Amino acid sequence: MDPYDGYGEETRRVQVRFTTKLQSPLRVPPTSIAIPSNLTRKGLSVIVNNLLKAVNSDWEPRPFDFLVDDELIRMSLEDFLLAKGISAEKILEIEYIKAVAPRKQESPCLHDDWVSAISGLESSSSLCVATASKDRTLRLWKFDSEVPIGHPAKVRAYKTLKGHKSSVQSIAAHPSGMFRSWDSTINLWRTNESDADGDLTSIKKRKVDNDTRESQSEGEALYSFVGHTQCVSSVVWKQEEAIYSASWDHSIRRWDVGTGKDSFNLFCGKALNCLDVGGEGSALIAAGGSDSVLRIWDPRNPGSLAPVFQFSSHSSWISACKWHDHSWFHLISASYDGKVMLWDLRTAWPVAVIDSHKDKVLCVDWWKGDSVISGGADAKLCISSEVSISSY
Amino acid sequence: MVNIMDTNEEECVKEEVTLDVEAETNPRVEESDSSEDEVAPLNTVGDVPLKWYKDEEHIGYDITGKKIKKQARKDMLDSFLAGVDNSKNWRKIYDEYNDEEVELTKQETRLIRRLLKGKTPHAEVDPYTPYVDWFLWEDAKHPLSNAPEPKRRFIPSKWENKKVVELVRAIRRGDIKIDKPKEESCLYLLWGDDSRSADKAPGINYIPAPKPKLAGHEESYNPSVEYIPTKEEVDSYNQMYEEDRPKFIPRRFESLRNVPAYENAMKESFNRCLDLYLCPRSRKKRINIDPESLKPKLPSRKDLKPYPSKCYFEYKGHKNAVRSISVHTSGQWLASGSNDGTVRIWEIETGRCIRIWEVGEGVQCVAWNPMTGLTILAVAVGLDVLLLDTGLGDDEEQDKIKKLLHVEATTVANDSDHNGSLVDWLQHDKYKGIRMRFCKTITSVEWHRKGDYFSTVMPGDSRGILIHLLSKKLTQKFSFKQHGIPVATKFHPSRSYVFIATNKAVRVYDLLKQKLIRKLEPSVREVSSIAVHPSGDHVIVGSREGKLCWFDMDLSSQPYRKLECHPKDITNVAFHRSYPLFASCSEDSTSYVFHGMVYSDLNQNPLIVPLQILRGHAATNGRGVLDCTFHPRQPWLFTAGSDSVVKLYCH
Repeated sequence: MDPYDGYGEETRRVQVRFTTKLQSPLRVPPTSIAIPSNLTRKGLSVIVNNLLKAVNSDWEPRPFDFLVDDELIRMSLEDFLLAKGISAEKILEIEYIKAVAPRKQESPCLHDDWVSAISGLESSSSLCVATASKDRTLRLWKFDSEVPIGHPAKVRAYKTLKGHKSSVQSIAAHPSGMFRSWDSTINLWRTNESDADGDLTSIKKRKVDNDTRESQSEGEALYSFVGHTQCVSSVVWKQEEAIYSASWDHSIRRWDVGTGKDSFNLFCGKALNCLDVGGEGSALIAAGGSDSVLRIWDPRNPGSLAPVFQFSSHSSWISACKWHDHSWFHLISASYDGKVMLWDLRTAWPVAVIDSHKDKVLCVDWWKGDSVISGGADAKLCISSEVSISSY
Repeated sequence: MVNIMDTNEEECVKEEVTLDVEAETNPRVEESDSSEDEVAPLNTVGDVPLKWYKDEEHIGYDITGKKIKKQARKDMLDSFLAGVDNSKNWRKIYDEYNDEEVELTKQETRLIRRLLKGKTPHAEVDPYTPYVDWFLWEDAKHPLSNAPEPKRRFIPSKWENKKVVELVRAIRRGDIKIDKPKEESCLYLLWGDDSRSADKAPGINYIPAPKPKLAGHEESYNPSVEYIPTKEEVDSYNQMYEEDRPKFIPRRFESLRNVPAYENAMKESFNRCLDLYLCPRSRKKRINIDPESLKPKLPSRKDLKPYPSKCYFEYKGHKNAVRSISVHTSGQWLASGSNDGTVRIWEIETGRCIRIWEVGEGVQCVAWNPMTGLTILAVAVGLDVLLLDTGLGDDEEQDKIKKLLHVEATTVANDSDHNGSLVDWLQHDKYKGIRMRFCKTITSVEWHRKGDYFSTVMPGDSRGILIHLLSKKLTQKFSFKQHGIPVATKFHPSRSYVFIATNKAVRVYDLLKQKLIRKLEPSVREVSSIAVHPSGDHVIVGSREGKLCWFDMDLSSQPYRKLECHPKDITNVAFHRSYPLFASCSEDSTSYVFHGMVYSDLNQNPLIVPLQILRGHAATNGRGVLDCTFHPRQPWLFTAGSDSVVKLYCH
């Protein structure tokens, strides 16, 4: 465990002080110490663990991640200081946080066919699930949340919403749901039955007469948001007043729910597959599409439509991306190259790569705040748990 | 006397001039005389007393340096006998100098006789010509005057002075302009390149020797210490190849006196002689052109984005080579037909196979109906064309499709009577579609843009192109004579034209007016594929020898541009519907993507830029990429390979 093993006398030393925002059992004494400058994240982690062990004798070692000037250290300390142009003469303040990585890989749940959509909602007493389908209809399902996750629950569709000219691709719920479609429109639905409270939106070009089916009630599209010229691939409804949508016509639009107009328009040059809104102030837009780059825009930046972050470690199309609910920095992305990557905005490298799928990963979500669930074309639902993300 | 001389001065001058002229002409005469004497003497001993050779066996040396032997002297008796025998013997004279007998000619003897008599040697010279008195003897005893020089010969001429003053004034006024003497620049390039021999030696083929490098400090006889190599360096030089060795190794001498002669002088002059000996005496004109400037100015590929460049996606599932692919107009569905006898429909976004039809035989061609609502797939299998209902689209559309794809038994009978054995429209029992039975193999199916008409190509038949009407289940023969084997048909994207590609040429017919509009001659060995630009004014034709021809319909029947890109057969060519892109795929398992910008300005020719070579397909059974098609809305290219994979290339 001695970090000084194997380092010659001639290595340069840097004066550092470790600080943290973590709670007291994880705090080290705020004295400055001299450490070799060729240490990497692992070496720094060993040092912090040793310091903690000096305070508390029965300390279990755990990995840490280190921040200098709000940037994660991903190379040796010396290279990092050289690259950032930070002087090694002064005492360096290094902030440490808990390392974010899944530590446990649960055994995958096998399905009969592709797992193409997944949702990691916190379960409440009774749940309404809306599904979108290639048969141009939306269905609202109701099932008892006591059924354990991972087992197929027998549920009955109680409501069918029709109105799309083409297959429905995406659904998003505010408290309920909405969806996307190949006919390049978004429809907003209200379920007029009292047992489903909330609004549903879908994507549609124009309203069509809805056929009532026996034993199934019908919904009616409230609004159609028309503007996209090609298929709308993804819809997000996180804030009360704004719906975000991404489309294959290379644009991301923000729709005002009240007026039905698009208030914000962003072109990126690639057909987009997925979209999520989150991060700092729930304002950053993350989107991935028909190339291997996950891009993040900040619409609050005036005048500039260039992405603020670009993550390009994937090697194929990005099929899904999700922000963490509480952390401003963390998001996950799934790609057709079979990998799920966990990103931290403070470094350009993926924090963790989950490589448990054999084929295309089609969907990914957070579950219970500390697990990543993903489903893919290999008909597996994979859960990577114990991702310790401290909320800010 | 003085006066006389003064008046006659000019005449005297004239005389002198004429005499001078004679003096000038005379040397030429003398030259011609002396040329007789210029017969080179045999003996080359020179003008030495011949008694020096009295006791020698030779008399001298001939021109080659060999000794001239003395001839045997004739004694008196011999010469007497010779005089008796030959009456002309008296003419012979012995030449001591050359040691030979010379026989005088008649002219020479005559000359000698005249000399002996004291006459002029040449008879034609008249010694008694009448005297012409050139001088004036008026009141003078002597022809020349001895009068003193007149004064006016010593004073400047007044007239000349006036003339000069006149000229000076004229110059001052500016009436006469004098060219200023050109100032030769005192600066010139001392070490400049003097290889421009043209101004140096006009007319002569002067080739300057290469300029030697300027001498540096290291070539001094006593260079600084830092120039002198150490012993190790000198040793390392000796281990090098002779060509790599430095030409000059600096050495140090105490004084200039100690510097030895240049050791390589002999060797180098010999080498120089060798060079000159082997030097071809012809001058090569080298044109100094930057090769980059000869390349055509093409825009950078970066400015022409987006275009498909990288394979992100593969649609796997077929068991054999994929022969044909087609993308639905909505851009959501991809249909593929394979040699393993299946037709599959894929969702483009996820790569999921939605539907599989087993049709039994290898599929030749698949084609989606271009109407968005009519999700009908036409499949050419062997002798059949199947019109399949894919089951996509909503209920209303489904009803419409079902009505379209219903064949009543009675109409079938009528049609078969009417058309003979041309085509049978039958209801397909298994897949709820239409089965059209032909007499020969169908290779290609092409829909009209309105989705009602479609054409089929039977290469085995001389009248192999048929046009069908789906809504009335009618079949019509193509009413023009076909030249050669039909390969493919294309409908014009906006007018009622049809493009018929045979293996030799492409013909454009107007279907309404029933006449031939144009004939395009690609002048390639065999046409394999054709694609029509969405504007309808441009056509690309792919050939079996790997050539791609771009035709501008407004320009001529010859190709506007011929691109030789593929080493093997081109299997298909395609235009993008909205982006300025076109592509070709070939049996060499590559596909090429080109930028093909067409301008609405008629004066501007289309701009064609090769963009990307797409590789990735593996050659199987000697075949490469069999089909390529663009996504209708995205700048993406689908390619179908003989390795049973369909690939999607994205930007």
